[in-house]
Amino acid sequence: MNTIWALAKVVVLEMVRRKDFYVLFILTVLLTGTAGSVNLFNDRSIVRYLKEICLLLIWLSGLVIAITCTARQIPAEREQRTIFPLLAKPVTRGQFLLGKFLGCWLATGLALAVFYLFFGLISATREQHWPVLNYLQAAWLHWMMLGVVVAFTLLGSIVFAAPSSNGTICFVVSVGILLLGRHLNKVALDLAQPWQSLLYGVYFVIPHLELFDVRDLIIHNWELIRWEMVALATLYAAAYAAFFLFGAWWVFRRRPLN
Amino acid sequence: MEPTVAIEDLRIEYRSRDLGEASKVAVNGLNLVVGRGEVFGFLGPNGAGKTSTMNVLLGFVPPSSGTARIFGVDVREPIARQRIGYLPEQTYYYKFLTAEELLRLYAGIFHIPVAEREARVGAVLKLVELEHARNRQIKTYSKGMQQRVGLAQALINNPDLLILDEPTSGLDPLGRMKVREIIQRLKNEGKTVFFSSHELGEVETVCDRVAILHQGHLKAEGRVTDLVAQHAANLEQVFLKLVGYASQS
Amino acid sequence: MPSLPLLLSALALAVAFAAGGRLLLWEQAHRQDKGSVLRLLLGESRRAFANHVFLKADAYFHQGFYPSVFDAPAPVSKTHLAEATEEAHHHDHSRGHAHDRHRDWLEAFGCNFQPAEHRHLEGLGQAREILPWLRLAAALDPQRVDTYTVTAYWLREQLNQVKEAEAFLREGLRANPDSHEILFELGRLYAENERDVLRARIVLELAIAKWIRQEASLPSPDHVSYRQIMGQLAALEERAGNYERALAHYTRLHRVSPNPAAVQQRIDEMRFKSAAPVVKPP
Repeated sequence: MNTIWALAKVVVLEMVRRKDFYVLFILTVLLTGTAGSVNLFNDRSIVRYLKEICLLLIWLSGLVIAITCTARQIPAEREQRTIFPLLAKPVTRGQFLLGKFLGCWLATGLALAVFYLFFGLISATREQHWPVLNYLQAAWLHWMMLGVVVAFTLLGSIVFAAPSSNGTICFVVSVGILLLGRHLNKVALDLAQPWQSLLYGVYFVIPHLELFDVRDLIIHNWELIRWEMVALATLYAAAYAAFFLFGAWWVFRRRPLN
Repeated sequence: MEPTVAIEDLRIEYRSRDLGEASKVAVNGLNLVVGRGEVFGFLGPNGAGKTSTMNVLLGFVPPSSGTARIFGVDVREPIARQRIGYLPEQTYYYKFLTAEELLRLYAGIFHIPVAEREARVGAVLKLVELEHARNRQIKTYSKGMQQRVGLAQALINNPDLLILDEPTSGLDPLGRMKVREIIQRLKNEGKTVFFSSHELGEVETVCDRVAILHQGHLKAEGRVTDLVAQHAANLEQVFLKLVGYASQS
Repeated sequence: MPSLPLLLSALALAVAFAAGGRLLLWEQAHRQDKGSVLRLLLGESRRAFANHVFLKADAYFHQGFYPSVFDAPAPVSKTHLAEATEEAHHHDHSRGHAHDRHRDWLEAFGCNFQPAEHRHLEGLGQAREILPWLRLAAALDPQRVDTYTVTAYWLREQLNQVKEAEAFLREGLRANPDSHEILFELGRLYAENERDVLRARIVLELAIAKWIRQEASLPSPDHVSYRQIMGQLAALEERAGNYERALAHYTRLHRVSPNPAAVQQRIDEMRFKSAAPVVKPP
């Protein structure tokens, strides 16, 4: 665990020292601020649209941070050859992958914490109340979802050589699942066989990232999600992340590094 | 006593990625033994198979056949690398880290206790004369300083075997001298040093034994003095003769 | 004597100024039509975005509980927001028939993470939350008349922002000068909120005139709008005590009403009131 933790810390440090996160955060602050300054029928107490815009930016930023940070890890290690002195030490390839996963996931979590704190501040100043538990649930589920994204991006970074192509593919897949994932079963019902069974199969196989998107509940101040459901969703994310990590290890374990 | 490095009938073959193209044999039937406390020079022209052999020793590439052991442990086991220090030919480190952070990372990987870690980091930084720059990011270092960071990370675990790939490549004469001094010091401490180099004069100066590899085959192995006496020539001439250039000179 | 390069430079400058001036005039002439940044950025696709944003307002009205294009069994002709302006009966079509039975365990599980109950924005002033999307819909597609009428309804009825409603309707009227729907809503505002009979009458009569010009000659004219305007006009005159005028409007309404008996009752009432002597208070 020490080794995995040591590797993860390097990834977190990398994110802290790179400019990507700061650019995305400043952009989110600026765009939310601009949206908040718009005069809407002289009513300063309108807040939900602002929460929606802020959360949308947070979701986009979260995806961008998770995917770009993860997609470059292994290709950069190979391209800059930092992987050689590292794997010349008692580090297994499994530990290397787990360290990278943990680092990217923690870095994403750190970024999310900052983003959600900003969201909480915006919401509190306009709404005069702060449902901390609801926000914690939303941030937690968001982070779990990004865990799955990080895991499959890591797998992609071993399969696809170029980080840019891997990043693009992972982004398109993630956004595609977020937008369409929950509707595939309905689309399948309108199809003829064998396409119906095929699409239904895809529906059950893909990780349903959209389950973790509870923005509507937060924007419209719905009640807390039942904690056992949050726990189940966490298990669901963990299972998919483990599956993708196992896949990554399977592909990477015997791959020559030169 | 178990030798530090034992290579038996090693064959390294790279499969071609292009369909129908034959695979390339980088090393064929290599047998090599390096004893404890030796400074062993691994020589050969470009493409001779030196780096491939080192890659097998370091676990980067699995052997196609044969075995390679370090301290009696198969190199495919990560634990085999617990007592190794490795310095790559060029500096390949996380440039956004400071030297201190980089060394702490590697010390963590070697499970060096926290109390001992700081002392160890300080000691290796002092050895490579980088104490003054320990809190600067590596990207701000000169090439020589980066090479010294490399040496520091190779020494962080106080290794019993040091594998150095062209350790003086790209260094100025002062840098080379310092590397030679460090190798000599390690030898005096009873460490084993296994290094590849093109600098035959340097090899002659510091090595106890050498092996000369050409086109994946071992051409000669022995003490430098024995090889020189056997061929009645200096090491450079011996080398050129064994790799097939002697007739042209 | 000036050299040739100097002459050429002067000529080029003159051409540049002339072209610049011409462009400026052209730009000013087209500003009303082309000035919108959104139009410039999105082109005609902004209408599709406006439609989406308008539906977003309806989704906000339902606190995020809303059907997707995959859920709705058939296209919904009117949003709940629009229905509310007409005081029509509110149907629960938000999730079709799907919300009470799930197709599979994933769908059932997913229901825990999204709004799963039909609710409206009902608290004090809560309806204000739909306004940003309606504002954006108007910015994206100023020719979408619904946006102005629906927004004005919510502003004046639910949020007591009559001035803002009037200003927004006037903005809509500038973009759609021939819209009898906007004129009707404006007339309604003057009649019901401002109690300004004179302005309400002018606006509603203008609305009727516009309706006749646009719809009367059509094979299937929009009788609903006609009935609304005429009904509003008749009620306005009745409230103002102008029973003769009210009678005339009710008579016209009677011809197109789906419930002529009820209108006939009003006509009889107006006849009675207009025939009765006016009793002046002591």
